[in-house]
Amino acid sequence: MSMPPAAAATPPGSPVPVQARQPGPVSAKPVPARLVSVNLLGLVEHPEFGGGPYRVDADGRPYLPVGDGGIVLGLQLGDSVFGRSADHAAPGACLMHPDPAARHALAIYSCIGNQVKVRTGRAAGARGVVIGKRGEAGRVIAAFRQADLAAMRPSDEVSVRACGQGGRPDGFPPGLTVLNIDPGMFAILPMVRPSSRGDQRVSVGVRCSVPSKLAGNGLGRPAVSWDLDLQLPPPSAPASAPASALASGQSPAPDGGAADVLLGDFVAVTDIDARFNMGYRRGWVTVGVVVHGASPLPGHGPGITPILTGPADVLDIRHEAASHVGLTASMLKLQ
Amino acid sequence: MKLRTNAARLVSQVLTGEVWPPLADRHAYRVGPDGQPFALPGMGGVTLGVHCGDPATGYASDHLEPGASVRHRDPAANMALQFLTCVGNPVRVETGPAAGATGHVIGQHAYVLADFPERVLAGITTGDAVTVTACGQGLALADHDSIVVKNCAPELLERMPGGTRPDGRLEVHVAGAVPAEAIGAGAGMASEYANTDLMGAYAGLGEDLSLGLEGLRVGDIVALADADHRYGRGYREGYLTIGVISTGQCMLFGHGPGPSSLLSGPAEAFCLVDDPAANLSRWYHQDLEATP
Repeated sequence: MSMPPAAAATPPGSPVPVQARQPGPVSAKPVPARLVSVNLLGLVEHPEFGGGPYRVDADGRPYLPVGDGGIVLGLQLGDSVFGRSADHAAPGACLMHPDPAARHALAIYSCIGNQVKVRTGRAAGARGVVIGKRGEAGRVIAAFRQADLAAMRPSDEVSVRACGQGGRPDGFPPGLTVLNIDPGMFAILPMVRPSSRGDQRVSVGVRCSVPSKLAGNGLGRPAVSWDLDLQLPPPSAPASAPASALASGQSPAPDGGAADVLLGDFVAVTDIDARFNMGYRRGWVTVGVVVHGASPLPGHGPGITPILTGPADVLDIRHEAASHVGLTASMLKLQ
Repeated sequence: MKLRTNAARLVSQVLTGEVWPPLADRHAYRVGPDGQPFALPGMGGVTLGVHCGDPATGYASDHLEPGASVRHRDPAANMALQFLTCVGNPVRVETGPAAGATGHVIGQHAYVLADFPERVLAGITTGDAVTVTACGQGLALADHDSIVVKNCAPELLERMPGGTRPDGRLEVHVAGAVPAEAIGAGAGMASEYANTDLMGAYAGLGEDLSLGLEGLRVGDIVALADADHRYGRGYREGYLTIGVISTGQCMLFGHGPGPSSLLSGPAEAFCLVDDPAANLSRWYHQDLEATP
């Protein structure tokens, strides 16, 4: 395993020599390749409603979705996914493009750790970082300093330096697929490291492991552009808790014992293969970064952007429970 | 089913639609579970040769929609068609060589899916107009407060075996049981729209993909474990959803044969009876064969 040490880290967004991601079982040997970066235009999204103000929760109660897209203030990496009365709230600004096809490209090519820069408006010049994305029409979630975020408004133009798809750090086991992450990020993520057993596995610290049956919206959709919602109950939910809270009576961390899940956490989902579309495959594990908060909508919940997926024997999942530290603003130099 | 409902208070609405073409883009291929590219028919248009009672899997097909797939040209009217149409509602062909023939709705899949006898289907093609007499949304069970009815024509409930038991539970005959791990695309969507794709039914592919669902048939009544579809589709321990398999074989990963939701509530409100004959063909297909 030759992941670069933190001191010699290549800044996220810089060209890094990497190996092309394998398209599946078709070819056996990785082809050395050099990633390219592309500058993409994103517009800060405005929240949208359909015909009426309400959505309906798992118990049939109407609710008004707040925080579902656009600019969300006061929510940061490290906050609980259950801490707000909100729906799919993400810590930062969601970026989109008015052309549907360009919007998909923006979502597909943007990777966690990519640098973004505000080009117009009162926050022009401000720096941000991609921390995840969301599905369907396509949204990129970018984190900014709170002061910059407060100065931004929907329709502000933001340039994304997209880089990462197709890449994988040298030394990763062939069966492990890497996606949606800037290759430079591996040097600054302390939870990802070579296995201590000296084998080729990649060791990943996670808040918890979640069984595939709690996966919801995002199943059957491409992992390069959608997130995967996890139907987790709030940490203190009684057995009879309704909510899309969903998995009533079930611990959010059956393996790790954690009481809460925070934005930016790394979470493993067992028996999910996310190389292409996301779906059930026995004996596989997918690791993702928690990119948005809970939702009252049935079948929805805190969402992960998948970054690693493979057979369970190529990943050494360490359940760090309460001691876990996920992606933080300080790692991204946004403090 | 022997049970008391509010069927007498429901209204019917006459809706129109047209047989909608299959849709593709110039890149042609989609991607299967192991990364295999495929371009396979089955979704949209008129799909021949597969009807209620036939195996759902084992075809060289993707998102197999038996019979005619119907939409409305206007987006808002289309949503009304998709939301209001219920399994068991009659569908009449209005134009083309099959005009006058009647079939029935077997489910939704972002299309309304209408099954007709094979000889009728042979005369239907893309663009043919149909009329759906929609009735069923709002159907409620007088003696089962915790169970919500979805997408179910009153006549379908009447024809299904089972009903209210002396112990107060609702007896439902099911041809198959589906574990929560099988729920794929469709999770998180409204229970009145499209259906819930089941993973683990990729006939002929890897054992690590299988959840033992390769034997499902089109039209099977199935029970989904830990599924709450009362107001959307989500995981909920201890809940149960009864559905009817309305679509078949998929190659697209995370997709598969899908049940349209019919009944949903706490598991203890149901009494399930294993019955391999619990299939729409038992209650509807015979009628269809007699259609002139």
